[in-house]
Amino acid sequence: MTSAAPTATASAPGDNPHAGIIKFTMLLGGVVFLLMMIFGLIMRVAQGGIFELDPEIFYLLLTAHGAGMVGSAALSGAAIMWYFVARHIELRQSIYVAFLGLFLVGVVLILASIFIGSYGGAWTFLFPLPALSGGVWEVWAAVMFCFGYVFIGVGFLLYYLEMGLKIRQHFGGLLGGLGWRYLFNTADDTPPPPTIVAASSVLIFNTIGIVFGAAVLAASILNLLVSSFAVDPLVAKNAIYFFGHVFINATIYMAVTAVYELIPDYTGRPWKTTRVFIAGWAAVVVFVQAVYFHHLLQDVAMPAWTMAVGQIISYGSGVPLIGITVFSLCVYLRGANVKWDLASSLLALGVVGWGLGSIPAVIDGMVSVNKLMHNTQWVPGHFHTYLLLGEVAMAFGFATWLVGGKSEQTEMPSLDKLVFRAYVLGGAGFVLIFLWSGASSIPRRWAIHYAEWQFQSQLASAFALIVVGATLALVVKYGAGLFRKS
Amino acid sequence: MQTTILLVTLVLMAITAAVIYRTIFSTNGPVEVEVVNKTRTRLLTGLIVVGVLVSVASLREWPHASAGADTMVVNISSGQWWWETDTTEIPAGQQVEFRVTSEDVNHGLGIYDTEMRLVAQVQAMPNYTNKVVHTFETPGTYQILCMEFCGIAHHDMITEFEVLGERS
Repeated sequence: MTSAAPTATASAPGDNPHAGIIKFTMLLGGVVFLLMMIFGLIMRVAQGGIFELDPEIFYLLLTAHGAGMVGSAALSGAAIMWYFVARHIELRQSIYVAFLGLFLVGVVLILASIFIGSYGGAWTFLFPLPALSGGVWEVWAAVMFCFGYVFIGVGFLLYYLEMGLKIRQHFGGLLGGLGWRYLFNTADDTPPPPTIVAASSVLIFNTIGIVFGAAVLAASILNLLVSSFAVDPLVAKNAIYFFGHVFINATIYMAVTAVYELIPDYTGRPWKTTRVFIAGWAAVVVFVQAVYFHHLLQDVAMPAWTMAVGQIISYGSGVPLIGITVFSLCVYLRGANVKWDLASSLLALGVVGWGLGSIPAVIDGMVSVNKLMHNTQWVPGHFHTYLLLGEVAMAFGFATWLVGGKSEQTEMPSLDKLVFRAYVLGGAGFVLIFLWSGASSIPRRWAIHYAEWQFQSQLASAFALIVVGATLALVVKYGAGLFRKS
Repeated sequence: MQTTILLVTLVLMAITAAVIYRTIFSTNGPVEVEVVNKTRTRLLTGLIVVGVLVSVASLREWPHASAGADTMVVNISSGQWWWETDTTEIPAGQQVEFRVTSEDVNHGLGIYDTEMRLVAQVQAMPNYTNKVVHTFETPGTYQILCMEFCGIAHHDMITEFEVLGERS
């Protein structure tokens, strides 16, 4: 390590020089989360046959829900990681402003493409669907959607460039930030803080993911503008799922820095950078990139070894999550006499939901299981578990702390308890019905459900309503906290 | 099969959740560092051993079956938003290889039995012919549903075929 890193000392939200803009970002993220949940509720209600929804509208909402949720998860994760990395090294706020500006331009383009241009090709823009809408949307709408992603990607590249440069400067290169020097050099007794290890890892794999995303977006845009230009659909699918898998997983890996930094305030025990911790993150850097093959287990034109790798790495990805992150949370909390408040409860829920969500994900990653579960509702079942009860819970936990700090009350207020329990109950019920529906062979992304599938959608709608109510309360509480503080 | 998968998943999730809950809310702590390290090593080792065993057991026989010598071939093409098969009647007990492709965007061939249970699937991709091998044991009307989002009439992309009683 070439220079000593500033250590984390600031624990009050207002002490961070980036607090203002991060609060604004979390407000945006929270409102969009809520709006996208309402879109999700509408889709489940329509699938339940409670009211009729034009399939065109359904698929527009599906596209907006997917892109919006991934976008808000990415935005909130990025805000969290920026905030906590800035506890350890100086970051230029102008870069964050540029990132946020580019991100918002991207959001405007995506929203316009969907709600003005009627682009309904799903957030995965699977080549060559954007160019073949069957008369639903015009070419310009699909191009605009792709450019929206490009703006967001460029914003993220800028964000990671700044973080990478500063980590390199303070920790003697990225290897220092990753903690690999500490891992392999027994004489080095000053490992980087957990947040820096996480940030170094995420910026490496998500930069690679975004570059692949940019390549396939460029190909898609060219295909839209010059129809004679085409790429191999299997190559395009590989690039899209590599980018998509890495990007959505990066949102959780960014958000978990809130757990590393805030849970110690509640337990009185610092979250330590151990050699096992560093090795776990090193495995994540590799696994998160190699695992995307599990999205292509029904593309039998892929070489068989890719499917085996997809299955094995799917399982492998769960090992550091359960064996290190979830295990460490349990160790730090055990016997710590934590005075639970809403923020800490949501942060702990985020790690637990993430860990539990990995179980149906790993099972779906098995080739033999995937034959029966791929593209059924099992898939949204597992990713809603680790997003709704994982990343989103962490984001709201951080947001609650950001405007309220650590509660000094001896017991959590009744209203906070109610909101938390409603979020857990509604979320758990919602995701479990998805899994049940997947096991019932109900396909995902269908605007209209057969009569025999509708009961499950109706039940899911009831749980979704509870989640929306709890999320509304979280957003209102956050807004009130912002207002009170300002 | 799907019910078994669901039950195994729910049991694993419930056990994991119960252990986490019990640990987090235990007042018996903090635990000594040596005990933590030992427990973590055991957990990681256990997870790796289970992973190796499950991987070997589930991949030793390759899950995507290969066609035998006496296999019946069914060619299926697809497009927005239709399926076209060169055979609509398949004998029960006969191994079938579906050769599936698409003329426009990606689709997903999902074969549903008479109880609307998914029995086999494969992606339908332009420029590629993907193969899936299956033997139907039960006669009846089977449906093909689209499993890959392909545009506004994705949910209407359905066709049927018959599985006839076993040859005498």
